[in-house]
Amino acid sequence: MISLRNVRKNFGGQRAVEDLDLQVPAGEIFGLLGHNGAGKSTAIGMMLGQVWPTAGEIRICGHDIISQRQAALRKVGAIFETPVFYDYLSGWRNLEILSHYSAPTSRHRIGEVVEWVGLTGREHSRVRTYSHGMRTRLALAQALLPQPELLILDEPGDGLDPEGIHEMRLTILRLHREMGLTILLSSHLLNEVQQLCTRIAVMKKGRKVFDGPLSAINKSQSWIRLRVNDFPSAVELLRRERLITDEREGSLIAVAPGSGTEHVVRCLVAQGISVYEIAPQEQTLEDSYLDLMKFDGPAPSGKQQLQPSVLATEH
Amino acid sequence: MFLLQLRNELRKLFGKKRTYLGFGMFLLAQSAFILVLKYGRGPNQSMMRMMQGNGYAAAHFFSNLTVATTTLLATAYVLLPLYVSLVGGDLVAKEAEDGTLRMILSRPISRLRILLIKWLAGVVFSLILILAFAVFGACFSRLFFPEGGLFVSIPWDGVFGVFEGVEGWQRYAAAHLVLTLKACTIMSLAFMFSCFDIKPAAATIVAISLVFISKIMQDTPYFHDMQGWFFTYHMNVWVYFFAAPIPWWKVGESLSILAGFNLTFFLIGSTAFQIRDFKS
Repeated sequence: MISLRNVRKNFGGQRAVEDLDLQVPAGEIFGLLGHNGAGKSTAIGMMLGQVWPTAGEIRICGHDIISQRQAALRKVGAIFETPVFYDYLSGWRNLEILSHYSAPTSRHRIGEVVEWVGLTGREHSRVRTYSHGMRTRLALAQALLPQPELLILDEPGDGLDPEGIHEMRLTILRLHREMGLTILLSSHLLNEVQQLCTRIAVMKKGRKVFDGPLSAINKSQSWIRLRVNDFPSAVELLRRERLITDEREGSLIAVAPGSGTEHVVRCLVAQGISVYEIAPQEQTLEDSYLDLMKFDGPAPSGKQQLQPSVLATEH
Repeated sequence: MFLLQLRNELRKLFGKKRTYLGFGMFLLAQSAFILVLKYGRGPNQSMMRMMQGNGYAAAHFFSNLTVATTTLLATAYVLLPLYVSLVGGDLVAKEAEDGTLRMILSRPISRLRILLIKWLAGVVFSLILILAFAVFGACFSRLFFPEGGLFVSIPWDGVFGVFEGVEGWQRYAAAHLVLTLKACTIMSLAFMFSCFDIKPAAATIVAISLVFISKIMQDTPYFHDMQGWFFTYHMNVWVYFFAAPIPWWKVGESLSILAGFNLTFFLIGSTAFQIRDFKS
C-alpha cells in the first residue's frame, strides 16, 4: 500500500530524511515513531505529495506519487496533528468543500460519514464553536469521505485529553475492523502505538533505526534483572568471564550470546557472591524506544534483531 | 467538477468577514465623496465653475452620472489597489499559514488546478467589487443629484468628454468593465506573491508597494518617455472610455499588455507554488 525506496529529502544543506525504505502492506496498522525533528512529518508529507523528495521512489496504492499523483491519492485519507478548518463555515460546508477536491460527493454520503463519526446534530454549526474533540471527529470525517483504502494519521492524538485519546484509539480500531483500512499512524504516544500497531518503524535524525513487528522490538533487548549483594563486583567478574556484554541501572545485565543465566549464577556463587534474584526483564516499547534513540547505527529490521551488544558499542 | 470547486472557493472567500472590508470601505468612501460634493460649498462651486468655464450648463451636467464618475476617479486610484491586493495576498498564503492548504494538497488534485480555481475566485471577487461600486455609485448619487449628461475632465491623462443620456451610461459601464482588468492585475500581482512562502500580509504589502512605486515612477517627469514600461500606466486604460473619441489603438495595446502581465504573474506564482514544500 505504501512503498518508499531510498527516499531522501534535503532542505537546503540540511538532510531531513536519509535513504528511507518503508513497506506498509495492505490491511496493517503501521506505526511511525520518532521524536520531534526525526523526519516523520517530512516522510508523511512526501507520501502525500506535499513535500518533494530529493531522491528515491514513493508509491502509494501502487502509483508513483510524483508522476501519478491523482491516482495515488484517490483512495487516501489524511489527518494532521492539529485539525484546522475554515472556522467561519459550518462543519457540513467544510466537508463539502474538502470532499469536492477528490470527487463530487452526495449529501447522503456526507450525512452517512457525519453520523459515523458522531457529529450528527452539530454538523451545521460553525467550526469555531467546536471543541478539540469535535474538530478531530470532523478531521476524521473529511478523511473518510472519499472512501479511502489508506488512512494516514499524523499525530492524531495531539492535544486530546485522555478520554479523547481513548476514543481516538477505539475509532482507529473500528476503522480497521469495519472498513479494513490500512492505517499509517505517526505518533509520540508510545502507549497508543503499542496498543494499536502490529508493525512499527522508528526514525531518528532522518534515518530509520528500526523496522519490524512490534513483537520483535520488544524481544530485541534481552536484559536480565540481577539482584546480588555486590552488583559492581558481580559485573566486573561476569565481564572478565565474558558472560555478559553490558549492564545498566545497577540491576540489569545483558547476557553474552552462547551464555545462559545458569552460567551466570554458577559463576557468581562460585566466587561467593550471593544471588537473591535473577529473572528476564520485561521490556516495554518505551524501554526499547529509548534504547533505539541512543543507538546511532544503521537501520536494523525485525528479522535482524537488535542485540544489546550492538547497543552497547554505540552508547 | 471544476465549477463545483470554483463555487466552493467562492464560498470560502465570501464566507470571510474581511472579504467585505473592501466593499464596506468603498461604499463609505463613495458616500462621503457624494455628500461632500452635494453639501460642501467649495467642491460644489468648483465643479460647477469648471463646467461653465468649458461652456457647458452646470444645471444639466452636474448630474448623478457625473458625480458617480468623479467619485470613481478619486477612489479607484488608491482604494481599489488596497482592497484587491488584500484579497489576492490572502488567497494562497492565508490558507498555507492556517494549515488548510495541507488538507487540500492531500487530495487527488493538481497544484495547478488548485491555483487556477483560486485565481478565478479572485477574478470573480474583482468583478463583483467593481460591479457593486458601479451600482452603488449610480444609485447613491441619484439620491442627491438629478439625471443629466456626463461631464468628465482628467487633464493629467489628457481625457475630456461630454456625453448625453444613454451614451453617458454606456461609457460609465464600459469604464467599470475595463476597470475590472486593473483590479485583476493588482489581484494577480498579490496572488503571485501569495504563492511564495511568505505571510499573507507580506504578499499584500509587497504587491501594493510595487503598484505605488510603479505609479510614482510613471508620474515622475524625468520618466515620462518611459511611461509605457510601467504596468500602472496600462492599468489606467479604463479612463480612455471617457475620452471622445476613444483611442482604440491605445486601449488595445494596454489591454494586451495587461493580459500579458496577468498571465506572467500567474505563471510565476504557479511555478513558485509548484516547487514549494508544504510542511506543518
